[in-house]
Amino acid sequence: MRIPAVVDQLRKIAGRDAVLDRPEDLMLYEYDAGVRKRTPAAVVFPQSTEHASQILKLASSEGFPVVARGAGTGLSGGAISPENGVVLAFARMSRILEVDAENFRAVVQPGVVNQTLSDNVAHQGLYFAPDPSSQKACTIGGNVAENSGGPHTLASGVTVNHVTGLTVVLPSGEVVQLGGKAAESSGYDLTGFFVGSEGTIGIVTEITVRLLRLPERIATLLGIFETVDDGARTVAAITAAGITPAALEMLDGWTLRAVEEACHAGYPLDAGAVLLIELEGLAEQVEEQAEAVREVCLRQRAREVRRAKDETERALLWKGRKSAFAALGRLAPAYYSQDGVVPRTRIPVVLQFIEGVAKKYGLRIGNIFHAGDGNLHPLIMFDPRDPAQLELVQVASRDILEYCVSVGGSITGEHGVGLEKRDLMPLLFTDEDLDVMLSLRNAFNADGVLNPGKLFPTTRVCAETRGASRNAVLAAEGM
Amino acid sequence: MSATGTSLDVTRELRAICGDKNVRERPSGGVYVSPATPGEVAAVLRFANVQRLSVGPAGGSTERSAAELRTDIILHTNQLTQIEHYDHADLTVGLGAGTTIAQLDAMVGADNLIFGGDPPLPERCTVGGLLATAAHGPRRHGYGAVRDYCIGIRFVTGDARRAKGGGRVVKNVAGYDLMKLLIGSYGTLAVITSASFKLFPAPRQTRTFLAEFSSAKEAIAFRDRVLRSPLSPMCLELVSPGARKMMRPEMAEDAWVMCVRAAGSDAVLARYRNELGMAITREAEGDGEQKMWTALADFPHAMPSTPDSGGVMTFQVTAPPTETLAIMEFLEGVATGSGLEIGMVGRVGVGHVQVTVTEKTGRDGESMNAPMRELHRVHSGIGLKLGGAANPWPIAPANLTQMCAVKQALDPNNVLHGREVF
Repeated sequence: MRIPAVVDQLRKIAGRDAVLDRPEDLMLYEYDAGVRKRTPAAVVFPQSTEHASQILKLASSEGFPVVARGAGTGLSGGAISPENGVVLAFARMSRILEVDAENFRAVVQPGVVNQTLSDNVAHQGLYFAPDPSSQKACTIGGNVAENSGGPHTLASGVTVNHVTGLTVVLPSGEVVQLGGKAAESSGYDLTGFFVGSEGTIGIVTEITVRLLRLPERIATLLGIFETVDDGARTVAAITAAGITPAALEMLDGWTLRAVEEACHAGYPLDAGAVLLIELEGLAEQVEEQAEAVREVCLRQRAREVRRAKDETERALLWKGRKSAFAALGRLAPAYYSQDGVVPRTRIPVVLQFIEGVAKKYGLRIGNIFHAGDGNLHPLIMFDPRDPAQLELVQVASRDILEYCVSVGGSITGEHGVGLEKRDLMPLLFTDEDLDVMLSLRNAFNADGVLNPGKLFPTTRVCAETRGASRNAVLAAEGM
Repeated sequence: MSATGTSLDVTRELRAICGDKNVRERPSGGVYVSPATPGEVAAVLRFANVQRLSVGPAGGSTERSAAELRTDIILHTNQLTQIEHYDHADLTVGLGAGTTIAQLDAMVGADNLIFGGDPPLPERCTVGGLLATAAHGPRRHGYGAVRDYCIGIRFVTGDARRAKGGGRVVKNVAGYDLMKLLIGSYGTLAVITSASFKLFPAPRQTRTFLAEFSSAKEAIAFRDRVLRSPLSPMCLELVSPGARKMMRPEMAEDAWVMCVRAAGSDAVLARYRNELGMAITREAEGDGEQKMWTALADFPHAMPSTPDSGGVMTFQVTAPPTETLAIMEFLEGVATGSGLEIGMVGRVGVGHVQVTVTEKTGRDGESMNAPMRELHRVHSGIGLKLGGAANPWPIAPANLTQMCAVKQALDPNNVLHGREVF
């Protein structure tokens, strides 16, 4: 691939001002919210499905790899460019194309910011349920690629539960329509299969999403506990009481103090842990459940259970939760966020294990997580300027994720595999499992033009990648 | 049998894999085999690939009779009934594909939990069959489709690779979502050997509110009112006059009946009563309520006939909810004066309609399909599935090319052709 020639071609497709190739511009696209970096060869901003199609045709014929990028808020390195890769950035495809309130659907371009969609349909009493902590910045295209979740996943499900149709550009440049507004379509559920495929089998240019009706009542409770263990046990106790909250989040004492100092959300500075519990639905039901949750918390030795009195208080409690990652940024030059999942009854033992890991490696680890569905986000503080620390952090992370898997869990609940966890996939999947997944990737992306080096362990891709541009792809995948 | 003249060899080989008692020849040709482990399933498929034999997976035969499969080998999942995990406090369960839904219901019901799926004939319907056909029942409205609560799946691909997708935790995005790919693939890609699901707390009490309307239009207007209200019913079904006659022939009135099932405390049920208002003509509870919902779930089997006899055919339509009324009115119009009788039970909150067509003059199957084909001509963007047929998608899906690519990746020799899709 000759980069200047490719850049010329890209400019012909998308317009002169829609391609970046100067080093100072490319620096802005060399990272996401994870810890890896690589500078792309160029960045192109398609403005239509047709642009994306022509770019992929060019990529396939010229043999350069392409990675799609939304807002770059991903935590697994999914949007990091391969070597000599071109970033397809969707900032200029950010229109809400249709809101079909009668059918509880919207059709959006991939660059629409998650929160923007909910803001735009709120006046019709609707919202888009997936709510990653980065929802003020992250895009729906990125949500589709990573199958993103968020605090309200507990009751509402992740992105795949809210997508019914996709317009997809395949590596050949062919444009296909998967699904539509109907809840089910004829044939295989390719829409469902496509969501969460991390940009490795096609590029999404339009998304049909489900919208939900805004609940009549919301109750947001803050359960305050003396110890992490009491808080952790309360999670399973709430479920055992037959209550599925809309959201059930936990912050340990160290993390909540950092959050409180940064954004004054109203968390108690001397607590061992807090649970942020949200109930929503019919007023009568919410009131009954709020009372039941309060009783469960108190039975599990909560020091106090507070309830947000109004929307302002509720928003403040959530601001604390959703700003937690940023707040911890005040305490160390960087943090390494993990995304392990365990069965929710195992939360107490996993938290004890994480504490042991912190002691073993002399690391500071904060815990903030979606407790209701057992999705942990241990945040390991470190200084990236010290290579030894980075190495240690990665070893500690692996220990934690191995433990999650050993108790029946997973290495990622919502952030995706990307670059960061690709070599941890064998913890969960056998060679044959990965073979099957790879044969599906190759059914659509045999030459590895789309997002090479992601999701699959490096050894498997090396063995299985085939096709005309194999050498270019292997180089791109860093081998 | 494609390996003509070698059936004895085939039987002998299969017996070597699965044991004598788990293999039997059928008089019309072909061999029934019941593997006891996923390893045996893989061995059967490996053998089938080598010998170029076709395999049709079969569960409880509720959707299509195993006897109608025209494959060399009919692979029964009835021995795959192991419990892989049951963590009632975690609200998750993992079961072998041959477990029936009734067995699953009984197990989790003892812990005050429920399974989100309530497909027809739960005493026979298996976990594997439910997944393969993406079957659902009235709970589809409140608990979602099986794609929403299946959290892991184990299977053997057509080319005999043992693999899995997902796991046993409720939130997991590691690797491709192979659950989505296999759910509703009708056994054309892989033999499902087990699956994990998330469960839900069982409601402490339920009540069903019934409202009768003289036209589909009035009933759908009522549906719209429910969908825009703060209510979140467990089930929301519309029963056409034709469907009522099929389920209870003594019913004479030509009413469209909307059935709204609610769960919650007395205060919650009182709120439903208040919101639904004067439209409610009757309430059902207890055994009567349960029987009614069982009948609605079993509606595709309400008319006793074999699918290919020409007397009865069933199909499912899924469309955006705003099209439900036009679809129901269209099908009612087809029935009028055609000699066909059409019954419809609509999971109308999600835009789904289960249709049964009957006629008494013994026409061929193709003319029975006419209403479905005509419907597709008028409403082209809808999802259609033909019940009990060799090909559930007689009208080629829009993404057949991509489906073929997936099929080629998992079953390159087209061994799994119990369903004649490709």
